[in-house]
Amino acid sequence: MNAWLRLIVYLVAAPVIGGLLAGWDRRVSARMQSRQGPPILQPFYDVLKLWQKQNLAVFPSQNYYILSFLLLVIFTGALFFAGSDLLLVIFAFTTAAIFFVLGAYKASSPYSFIGAERELIQIMAYEPMVLLTAIGMYMVTKTFYVRGIASHGTMLVLVLPGVFLGFVYALEIKFRKSPFDLSSSHHAHQELVRGITTEFSGRTLAMIEVAHWYESVFLLGWVYLFFAASPVVGVVMSLVVYAFVVLVDNVFARLKWQTALRSAWAVTAVLGFGNIVILSLLP
Amino acid sequence: MNGFKKSPWILHYDASSCNGCDIETLACLTPVFDVERLGVVNTGNPKHADIFLVTGAVNEQSKHVIRNLYRQLPEPKVVVAVGACAATGGIFRECYNISGGVDCVVPVDVYVPGCAARPEAIIDGVVKGLAVMEEKQTAMAADRGNLDQTLYAAADVGDAPSILSLAKAAALTEALLHDDDSFPALKRTLPQLQQEFDWRLFFKAVVNGKIIGAISGRLTGDTVSVNGPAVHPYFRNSDVAGRMLEEVERAFRGAKQFEVCIGNKSEQLLLELVKAGYLSFKTEVFTPKITWVYLRKEKK
Repeated sequence: MNAWLRLIVYLVAAPVIGGLLAGWDRRVSARMQSRQGPPILQPFYDVLKLWQKQNLAVFPSQNYYILSFLLLVIFTGALFFAGSDLLLVIFAFTTAAIFFVLGAYKASSPYSFIGAERELIQIMAYEPMVLLTAIGMYMVTKTFYVRGIASHGTMLVLVLPGVFLGFVYALEIKFRKSPFDLSSSHHAHQELVRGITTEFSGRTLAMIEVAHWYESVFLLGWVYLFFAASPVVGVVMSLVVYAFVVLVDNVFARLKWQTALRSAWAVTAVLGFGNIVILSLLP
Repeated sequence: MNGFKKSPWILHYDASSCNGCDIETLACLTPVFDVERLGVVNTGNPKHADIFLVTGAVNEQSKHVIRNLYRQLPEPKVVVAVGACAATGGIFRECYNISGGVDCVVPVDVYVPGCAARPEAIIDGVVKGLAVMEEKQTAMAADRGNLDQTLYAAADVGDAPSILSLAKAAALTEALLHDDDSFPALKRTLPQLQQEFDWRLFFKAVVNGKIIGAISGRLTGDTVSVNGPAVHPYFRNSDVAGRMLEEVERAFRGAKQFEVCIGNKSEQLLLELVKAGYLSFKTEVFTPKITWVYLRKEKK
């Protein structure tokens, strides 16, 4: 499949797959709590409804930040699935996250403010691990290009087990799942109302949802890279990782931000950095 | 298809309930009733919610909170009053601090009876509310779809209440833009507006029987001082403002010039006025945050 074809498939299929994953997440979470749960298509109904609601905004410009967030998330995934440079992908991904934070800061409500601050802390927590993942992949495959990494013969997870575990830890933070749902929780009430998304409504909130769908597919695509030597195992393992994230979400209570940050950096240092040091010492 | 029936997000507020109805409302979320299977989410946030679920009678303290929350729910929204107290004030209605049911503060769409209301009844009430919401949504969409059939006509004093609420809604968005709520239009009362009808000519823009825009003018010498145009926030991006300015010009054929005054941060309105041929000729500081910009259009 050439790069352009992959790109088009990504642009069309990612929101569908992301939405279905989100629906499956809600369904499975409900079953874990012995409830029946909503239909699998529920996230699509939600977005459809939000699209038709009135868009209340404190400042109209806050909505443009969110539009930029959505476009940059799509752009990040597009770079990734077109097989581009992993460092560029990380750069675009961080820029997207920062636009989300800026949108929340713009809204100037205390809830969205604290949500934005916590989101920054979360970015600080996972970013080193994400960078180390790219470096680890480079050390094995000698390339930063996703197409090169994907077509490399070795099963990366066998050489980078520590980096893989660290990356899964970072995923927990990036998906904003318990125990790291600091900036905005998916479940019921929280002391921050809805944290970072508090001040967004209507179409803008729908855009945030759709951005999260694209984001999930991109992140699971990255998990796939660890198993890219065998595509079937890769797809199965990315779904297994997603299921694991949902399980952890239901099992843990939320951590304090200090613990979240410290533990994320500890995991990065021990598993991520440790793995890379060992790799560089090996002949 | 619209998603409204399948994704009702709820904001639950306890006005001054004995907590009986609140416990039953939260019971709806538990495994036994599990309202999430109907797509219901209990959001703690008015800006995300579709259904405003109120329990308990309204007292002097909760009155303002209810109004505030109601204003923050995006349209279309539905209010469900749960339990006897929320409907009428219930056994507390004679108390010195109780105003009555929720409907003495905000319009209520569905009343759920019971003391305390049973979870089944609350779920039924929410489902009833969904039908109301779908109706409102269709009406909203129809208004937007019928903009090309907007009727521009002279307004009379009978339209004053609708024009007042419209002008306030419009001024509220201006106040947000300027971060200052000292706009005179926000403080105008109904009697004041009704008096203005004696010496000003008012025009209205009507869609499906609802007033979505208003403007007024007064001729002194050969200058018309124009007040407005005020357009409902939903319809800002349409041509309603420009059409109403034309309407005023047509009404005062003999006038040589038209003057209008707007806040300095109302950029969209400024663009509309410039498009209609208005040019700014002076500014005047009103408050530290608001500077009035005066615009004039000369008639050849």
